[in-house]
Amino acid sequence: MNPVVLFGLDGATFTILDDLVRRGVMPYLGRFINEGARGVLMSNTLPLTPPAWSTLVTGRSPGHHGIVGFFQPESPSSYYLRVASARDLRAETIWSIVNRYGLRAGSLNFVVHSPPPKIDGYVIPGWVTWKWLKRFSHPRGIIDRLTEELPGFDLKALAMDFEEEQKCLSGAELQDPERWIRLHIERDRQWFKVLKHQLQHDPCELVGIVFDGVDKLQHLLWPYLDPALEPAEPGEEFLRIRDLCRQYFRQIDDFLRQTAEAAGPDATIMIVSDHGFTGSSDAFFINSWLHKHGYLAWREEAQETATAPGEFYWLNSFDLPKTSAFAIEPSNNGIYIQVRGRNGEHGIDPAQYESVRRDLKHRLLTDCVNPATGRQMIANVWTNEEAFGGPHSNLAPDLTLELADHGFFSVRREDGDAIQCRPQPVGTHHPEGVFVAWGAGVRKGARIDAVRLLDIAPTVLRRLSLPIPQDFEGRIIEEIFTANWAEPHRSRKREATQAVAHTANGVAAAEEDDSPEQNADLLEKLKLLGYME
Amino acid sequence: MPVPTRQAVLDEVLRTLREIRDDLDYDREISENTGFFRELGFESIDVVALGSALEEHFDRQLPFAEFLTRARELKVDDLTVGDLVSFLVANLAPMETKQ
Repeated sequence: MNPVVLFGLDGATFTILDDLVRRGVMPYLGRFINEGARGVLMSNTLPLTPPAWSTLVTGRSPGHHGIVGFFQPESPSSYYLRVASARDLRAETIWSIVNRYGLRAGSLNFVVHSPPPKIDGYVIPGWVTWKWLKRFSHPRGIIDRLTEELPGFDLKALAMDFEEEQKCLSGAELQDPERWIRLHIERDRQWFKVLKHQLQHDPCELVGIVFDGVDKLQHLLWPYLDPALEPAEPGEEFLRIRDLCRQYFRQIDDFLRQTAEAAGPDATIMIVSDHGFTGSSDAFFINSWLHKHGYLAWREEAQETATAPGEFYWLNSFDLPKTSAFAIEPSNNGIYIQVRGRNGEHGIDPAQYESVRRDLKHRLLTDCVNPATGRQMIANVWTNEEAFGGPHSNLAPDLTLELADHGFFSVRREDGDAIQCRPQPVGTHHPEGVFVAWGAGVRKGARIDAVRLLDIAPTVLRRLSLPIPQDFEGRIIEEIFTANWAEPHRSRKREATQAVAHTANGVAAAEEDDSPEQNADLLEKLKLLGYME
Repeated sequence: MPVPTRQAVLDEVLRTLREIRDDLDYDREISENTGFFRELGFESIDVVALGSALEEHFDRQLPFAEFLTRARELKVDDLTVGDLVSFLVANLAPMETKQ
């Protein structure tokens, strides 16, 4: 067997990894880079975890695979948002593609993999609470089997603990950083236990795993990780927290080593991230900006909810008859334009949609200056067709923003300045992630130009000597392969990926509900994302 | 396929809840009157997961977000199994069930 292991590090960036390699914290990663191929891995237009990992495993862009964010509208015209699930994924994954050629696949801790696809192999999805992980893992019984066979296996430590994550992330500041770090050290240790066990006892030709502790630590502890932010004279607390962060990464490095051993000498390991990371110092209260510029009106009776710190925003905080544009949730940096008839009885005249959208885009790009720095806050504004081009672009917000410092805006009401500076930088997503390939078939020392998430799936199939579906949107990263690997394994494009069978979001039979309100319960509980206040 | 009976839908909801029964801190019989939040100790994310399981079984996307939002707007004391069953029956027409 010549397996491929996708070793996913959510949010990994060379900014941090190179520094840790230099300091001797991640020697095996250093070895992988020296002996293998390396390059920047560009995320999607909106570098966000669910659409990004979905692009990686499908070889399709968000407008084609249908995952636009952590949340999906219940229908294209609805403002009711629900948590994205595997049923929203409209493109075939590499797991089932390899199955069609007689190869088995294993998928561990990928977001938007619940309910699990019934592949030949196994799936233990990410972002599922422990109570439901048995139900939503495949095959049925795998969790019971792991509990029986794997010493020290702890389902509760493995699964997403929304209560714990909310506790840590609901405030502006992390109250107990060490507890947060240890939670993710243990959590990722549990995932690695499963990976190693599966590699040894249930081998598959393609295995993927995501360690999302990287993202979680970087969101809340960026100043302790970014070498550019290291204080000239770090205090004891800083050193203690930083050292614990490094313990996390040291563990990841050892997981790499053990993965290579367990996968065997004929394996190829690809280290990938869905996006990178950077620091954000700007705070942009988008709904307050929209209010000040005449697009949004507040309902006075919602004022208390609207201003309470940590409270998620209700759509019914807006006076909808007087509102033409608003932001529902911060993780997608998206603005929705209310169009009469499309979204209900309120909103702008449909004939005005293009001009309103164009004008709003222009104002965002020209009229958002940080008064403290004099800098423009917004680097880009994309329409849904631009950011999510494809048959499912109608699921995306009307406009998607890229802040100049890559931050996520706040949807909270702020009656002071809509644009402010944060007292301390927070970690935020950046488009530039990481790609490192090592092992069988990989050219030593290859340094490749930036590649895209779209390129990973065809490259994996190429490595497995399988045909590349004709509807894949990326390219094979040929330059990472050795010459003697390249020639006998030349692939050509074949048939398209197979249509996904489950019910599509927004299908004609879907509810005609046009009420522009949302499920604040679910969204409030999902403050764990770290994008929400 | 005909619209499922209320009893058939209730049976499926109870069957799904039995799958996680061992992990619920609730030792009484679950009935239509059982409350998800106060008695079964559900959090909102558990309702999301239950909804996902039911969508998978009935092979239908169901407007759970709207359902939960409206329940909150009405300031209901607790969502019961019976409330969920009523919602499902109202939204499952027609239906194809998985075996």
